[in-house]
Amino acid sequence: MKRYDLIIIGAGPAGLSAAVEAAGAGMHVVVFDENARPGGQLFKQIHKFFGSKEHKAKIRGIRIGEELLKEAEDAGVEVHLNAIVMGLFDCKEITVMENEAVHHYKADSIIIATGARENMVPFEGWTLPGVIGAGAAQTLMNLHGVQPGSRVLMVGSGNVGLVVSFQLLQAGVQVAAVIDAAPRVGGYGVHASKVARTGVPFYLSHTVVKAEGENHVTGAVIAQVDERFQPIPGTEMHLDVDTICMAVGLSPMSQLLSMAGCEMVDKGGVVPVVNAYGETSIRGIFAAGDVAGIEEASSAMITGRITAAAAAAELGYLSEEEFEKKAENLKASLKQLHEGMFSPENRGRTDLTVTDEGIALSSTLLKKGYVADEEISRFPGVVSGIKGIHPVIECTQNIPCNPCQDACRFGCISVGEKITKLPEVNQEARCTGCGMCVAMCSGQAIFLVDEDYDETGASVTIPYEFLPYPEPGTKGTALGRDGKAVCEAEVLSCRTAPVMDHTALLTIRVPKSMAMKARFFTV
Amino acid sequence: MSKNAEVVIIGAGITGCAAAYYLAKKGVSVIVLESTMIGHGGSSRNGGGVRQSARDVRELPIAMYAIEHLWPYLSEELDCDIEYHKDGNLRLAKTEGHIKILQNLVDASVAAGLDVRMISGDEARQICPYMSEEVIAASWCPTDGHANPMVTTLAFYRKARSMGVQFITGEEVVEIRKDKGRARKVLTKAGNCYEGETIILAAGFASRAIANTVGIDVPLIRQNLECLVTEAQPPMFWQMLGTAEADFYGHQSKHGSFVFGGSSGLEMFVKNDNTAGESTSITAASVCRGIMKYFPSLADAKIVRHWSGFMDACADHVPIIDKVDEVPGLILACGFTGHGFGIGPGSGLILSQMVLGEKLCVDIPDLKYDRFKAKA
Amino acid sequence: MAAILDRNDDLGGFRPEPDDNLIICRCEEVTKGEIRRAVHEGMRTMTEVRRFLRVGMGLCQGGTCGRIVKGIIAKEMGVKPSELSECTSRGPARPIEMRIFGNEVADDE
Repeated sequence: MKRYDLIIIGAGPAGLSAAVEAAGAGMHVVVFDENARPGGQLFKQIHKFFGSKEHKAKIRGIRIGEELLKEAEDAGVEVHLNAIVMGLFDCKEITVMENEAVHHYKADSIIIATGARENMVPFEGWTLPGVIGAGAAQTLMNLHGVQPGSRVLMVGSGNVGLVVSFQLLQAGVQVAAVIDAAPRVGGYGVHASKVARTGVPFYLSHTVVKAEGENHVTGAVIAQVDERFQPIPGTEMHLDVDTICMAVGLSPMSQLLSMAGCEMVDKGGVVPVVNAYGETSIRGIFAAGDVAGIEEASSAMITGRITAAAAAAELGYLSEEEFEKKAENLKASLKQLHEGMFSPENRGRTDLTVTDEGIALSSTLLKKGYVADEEISRFPGVVSGIKGIHPVIECTQNIPCNPCQDACRFGCISVGEKITKLPEVNQEARCTGCGMCVAMCSGQAIFLVDEDYDETGASVTIPYEFLPYPEPGTKGTALGRDGKAVCEAEVLSCRTAPVMDHTALLTIRVPKSMAMKARFFTV
Repeated sequence: MSKNAEVVIIGAGITGCAAAYYLAKKGVSVIVLESTMIGHGGSSRNGGGVRQSARDVRELPIAMYAIEHLWPYLSEELDCDIEYHKDGNLRLAKTEGHIKILQNLVDASVAAGLDVRMISGDEARQICPYMSEEVIAASWCPTDGHANPMVTTLAFYRKARSMGVQFITGEEVVEIRKDKGRARKVLTKAGNCYEGETIILAAGFASRAIANTVGIDVPLIRQNLECLVTEAQPPMFWQMLGTAEADFYGHQSKHGSFVFGGSSGLEMFVKNDNTAGESTSITAASVCRGIMKYFPSLADAKIVRHWSGFMDACADHVPIIDKVDEVPGLILACGFTGHGFGIGPGSGLILSQMVLGEKLCVDIPDLKYDRFKAKA
Repeated sequence: MAAILDRNDDLGGFRPEPDDNLIICRCEEVTKGEIRRAVHEGMRTMTEVRRFLRVGMGLCQGGTCGRIVKGIIAKEMGVKPSELSECTSRGPARPIEMRIFGNEVADDE
């Protein structure tokens, strides 16, 4: 039987990272993936990632996927695509369906990095065509170039629901609403804000009670829910949509691990019990990425490397000292991502009311997806009333991210050592208006404001990722953070540059009084 | 929760559940103790055959009685569609050697009074047109059939439960203890003690270790069984199928899926402590090859699941269903060797008759616990 | 190891609910009411419900409904979903044609 040092199942961020690490240590490694393309979800993720430089922050998932693939190729990793791992058996043997045949392979270690699948919740009409997973919508749009519908209801306000809502808008699909049964927005506030300011309404404490239609979805009925998540009669509301996107969580695809006999535990999704290095109850079988517990791709890439290093150490490809050093660095990197209000231990918490700095969280952000005008000024990145152009950083939650700090060469922005800290604007430093911070902010939460643009007007520079870019001179409407029209506006410029990686800097002129209110532009 | 009943049954497979039902029907109070869950042994790891043909003549009377008197009425009696079909059984031959095997089985069965006969390959294809030309002969028993083993077991459980039988799962029996010369107490790993006038031990392979605690040993080993199921297919045929070589057996279910059991030839040696569940990496593929040789048109049917488990195989391949004379109060029902499902309702009825000292519905003199003798 | 479970607890008896007709297992078309009723009739594990109703036995093998079914059973039994054991995971991880499944190829080193 063909045998490897290490078999990796799944060529997503965790699996590929593990492969690179293992090959680097000199292991004979193979990766199997059932898809026609490697990269897992990375190639669907067209948004810029969070974190710091070492986590590949401000780089779009799709680029990270390309980089990772290249690294794996350079390292000589053997990747089998269209290869379905059918079973994981005793003595670390797998069966793989490949080219209309079944192959048996064995390895001394196996890393399972099979990722997750989308959850569904049942409601009347949920089996109608047009009710799809948000991830499926993402696949249609970003891999196949197909709009999933023309008008969508997004169910779920976690990061997946928010990110996909924004991508739907980018793809020219209308988003009728983002709803969530929870009383507060589950995902990053910055993701919610960039959706809300385009005019998409958020309905928290709401659930979908019915998909209307005979042969496909022609509408949706949503209703408010009580504390026990039961719909409150009389609160029903009809929405004209042809697609209902479900972004109600992910479940680890851990079947192979249970098949292998690994000890499993249900933590709201069935995951293997693992040690600090991702090793399961069966020596030599590891789990990395979402299959070990749902997180972001950034964490998956690190856990992939940790498991591979551990496998390499077990088989003598890394000395104890080499392994310890590697593991320590990787864990420190993972720890950075695990800090802040969205940390794994804070998951599901609804009682957080202040930031690490002691600033009261925006209540409208959690209820409606945007920070209300009267709340925004209390955050350290938001300054106004200063002379000349300056950044306004509308970052109001402790999320692990610091590219803004590196983006400004003039020292206008500081986050500090702890990357979950809220960025501050250093008023002593001089802003040149280069706009790099605007383009580099993965949350699209930084704006440039010049309250002294001319006699009566102010300029506002907005991160803009919609095509076509408006021409200078275009007249239109400025929208507030809540997506409502606040004033007329005129496009002054729309700057792009390769380094900005498709985040254009759209500068509009608005009346002075609207400088701290206008945050989006529509024709 | 009472811990005393007239009868304590150890094991909630088809045998234990059926016995519980027939006892409850006669007004007997019953407690059933099960270490895992209902029908989790051989009852959920078999091809669903309800057949008489190719059955050892020592247990054949139970099958014949059950097919005449019990199976046709079970769905109604248990208030649950157990998917019983009585459309015959074809046991297929591809070689002269196979024909010889089948002929011997047929001769023995006919002598025991069963309507079964050899037919040609073409006759077999008239009954079931999907068979390959390679089939040159078959044995044909028109009164055989199949049912859904999982649903049947659960239906007996459900009905017995509704009639007041007390079922306790997760209760692993470790010992039977005597009281003044009679088997009476049943002790569990969790430290509970149940008591019954009669104890029926129907716990598959585990029966051996439990029986040992009252000084009784029976020659059982654990043997692996593998099953697989396809996605639903259009209705094709309702016969139960088997082969002379026993490389696979199975049927199309009411749902449309084909359910097959089969062997790799290595099942005697599948490890009990296999970390990866009970399935091996090679058995299901071998069963697929076996099926396709006989039914090439199933080649494109997708396998959605294969599963396996361990059965209790008895030294002489027929079960032990007997009152243990040496240990009054103990009845053994184990060693079914992979064919306990089809006779399950019959075994259950017989056990209820044994408990009550009634005349048994059929004579089974060759299924005694103390029949095993060394070579002369 | 399974927890000790007295199967004679009647759980308060089956009471119809307005959404009992909701299809939960799409592959095998099993409704919420059927699942709830099965629990009241004694099926108290994911595996027993599955074997009794075919829920999760179709092409997706419970991939979509498994979690939902678990929630329904747990609610009827008055326990947390995490307290219920999962069904055993079995191969093949994806449905595979018999002709491919049986076509084993030897790969040499």
